[in-house]
Amino acid sequence: MTQNKQIKEFAKQLLKMSVEGGDLSADRVDGVLTALNKNPPRHHIAVLKAYLKLVEREVAKSTAIISHAGAIGARSVELISKQLSAKYGRSIVPITREEPSLIAGLRVVVDCDVYDSSISNVLSTLESSLS
Amino acid sequence: MSSVIEQIEQQIANLQTKAVASNTGKILKIGDGVAKIDGLSEVMYNEMIAFPGGTIGIALNLEEDEVGAVVLGESNHLKQGDEVKCTGTLLSVPVGKGLLGRVVDALGQPVDGKGAIESSETYPVERIAPGIIERKSVDQPLMTGIQAIDSMIPIGRGQRELIIGDRGTGKTTIAIDTIINQANINKVGIASGDPDFRPVYSIYVAIGQKNSNVARTLGVLEEKGALEYTIIVSAPAADAAANQYIAPYTGAAIGEWFMANGMDALIVYDDLSKHAAAYRQMSLILKRPSGREAYPGDVFYLHSRLLERSARVSKDHGNGSLTALPIIETLAGDLAAYIPTNVISITDGQIFLETDLFNQGIRPAVSVGLSVSRVGSAAQQKATKQVAGKIKLELAQFRELAAFAQFGSDLDAKTKAQLDRGARIVELFKQPAFNPIPIEQQVGVLWAMQNNVFDDIDVSKMVAASNSLRDFLSSRKEVLLTSVREKAKIDDDLTTQLKAAVDEWKPTFA
Repeated sequence: MTQNKQIKEFAKQLLKMSVEGGDLSADRVDGVLTALNKNPPRHHIAVLKAYLKLVEREVAKSTAIISHAGAIGARSVELISKQLSAKYGRSIVPITREEPSLIAGLRVVVDCDVYDSSISNVLSTLESSLS
Repeated sequence: MSSVIEQIEQQIANLQTKAVASNTGKILKIGDGVAKIDGLSEVMYNEMIAFPGGTIGIALNLEEDEVGAVVLGESNHLKQGDEVKCTGTLLSVPVGKGLLGRVVDALGQPVDGKGAIESSETYPVERIAPGIIERKSVDQPLMTGIQAIDSMIPIGRGQRELIIGDRGTGKTTIAIDTIINQANINKVGIASGDPDFRPVYSIYVAIGQKNSNVARTLGVLEEKGALEYTIIVSAPAADAAANQYIAPYTGAAIGEWFMANGMDALIVYDDLSKHAAAYRQMSLILKRPSGREAYPGDVFYLHSRLLERSARVSKDHGNGSLTALPIIETLAGDLAAYIPTNVISITDGQIFLETDLFNQGIRPAVSVGLSVSRVGSAAQQKATKQVAGKIKLELAQFRELAAFAQFGSDLDAKTKAQLDRGARIVELFKQPAFNPIPIEQQVGVLWAMQNNVFDDIDVSKMVAASNSLRDFLSSRKEVLLTSVREKAKIDDDLTTQLKAAVDEWKPTFA
């Protein structure tokens, strides 16, 4: 097994230890980092980088970044979170962000999946269909 | 202007504001035409990926942590962190008669400056070849217009015949002659009004060639009036390796449309050696394991799945055919190298061109001993079979005797006669480039050869004699040639007419 593969495998095992009941646990992540600090493994910077990447991916899977132009009500955010949690079968935490470039509408990103109902997306689709 | 405004108004009226779901990723690394992408959790193998700026790519490496995609076209504007999207579709190209006379790139987009392609249909670039039940046996001839090939290595519609030889031996010339001959036959056939006439449309795929070569080929086809029946798919050396990899499959997709719609098509892949090299380049950058000569392990499959798409299909499955003439360039005449042996085992025969013959002035430099057509006389007109039946044997005997004659020993009369005859046949088969000979003229000349008409003509004058006879037949005996073409066999009546014509011609040739 190459060095890169060994580091990735090790990072995966660390991620397994950081999960509780299917969800990433902040306490467990803390515990893993403390243990790594106490007994740093070989190539510990590379291991940490790989672990960070996996943790970011795990966080992204459970987070819905809701970009909006203009105001968005708390009720709408809750509804979106509920629907996405039902769709993905896990608890999805919403994070809202103002994005004036959308012009109007919403753009919701959960990991690799993007749900875009913004006017800017409609206009760019129209532009590409006319070119 | 008003039509543009109307189009925009219609587009705006059709706009929908519901949420559009897409699967995205981010570029981690980009270089040498290959992008490594993080994300794209729903991507499938060979799926088209949309890069920024309208560029597309194909997902070829689906790994645990990343996706390796080849970029089709310019990648200079792409950078790390750019967002890419899955399209959910396979790569498709426009197909149909609207492409005839046009030059397109590997994605089916026009590059000849003659405007947009008129096409209402698209075919996927990667497609499964017709199965056993869908096929029909190859029994219709495809005339190349090259005497040496039509008489001794006959090609049928739906066959795959490899053209193989070193650089500069005339491989492309044979392919272009064949395309020109199809155009000539098409014009005569369509003008005759025969309802059973089936024209052959040609597709020339240029892979990894110099732009000047492609331009020259285009010029020749235009000059000979063949371009209206031809489609050129161009992926020159300046194009990305991914484009050179895709181009033959694009050509095959275009050819399959003709095959599926009851028409016959001919496709030339020039050349598959460069195609294999482009695939090797892509695979090495994608970090795929390399094998013999650094080619990836699936280089055989690269060509087998391409060439298996050329077939003759039954009435229920389109009633058409796609004949393939793949070209392979050898190094120092080595037929036993990796890629040549791969493609030889896939195809239904090969036409081997030798540098020695070319340098001796025997052009086309076809090595009759090493060339073969596995379909054989099943795809040959009866008339040609009647006059060319013994030619290959006579040439083989000539070659064997010529080796002994070098020692300068005294030869008996019979041996001398065989050597003379062989030398005359070799001269007879010499033919200038881009001048395909109609089959009826070939039959006339070969009939004369078989009936010893040229025996008292000096070997050095054989080329002039055969040219003179063909000119005589085409200018003074058009009715006879038309009969040969239409009957497609030599009966007693045609034999009498041929004898009379030849007897009339002989005294005119000094």
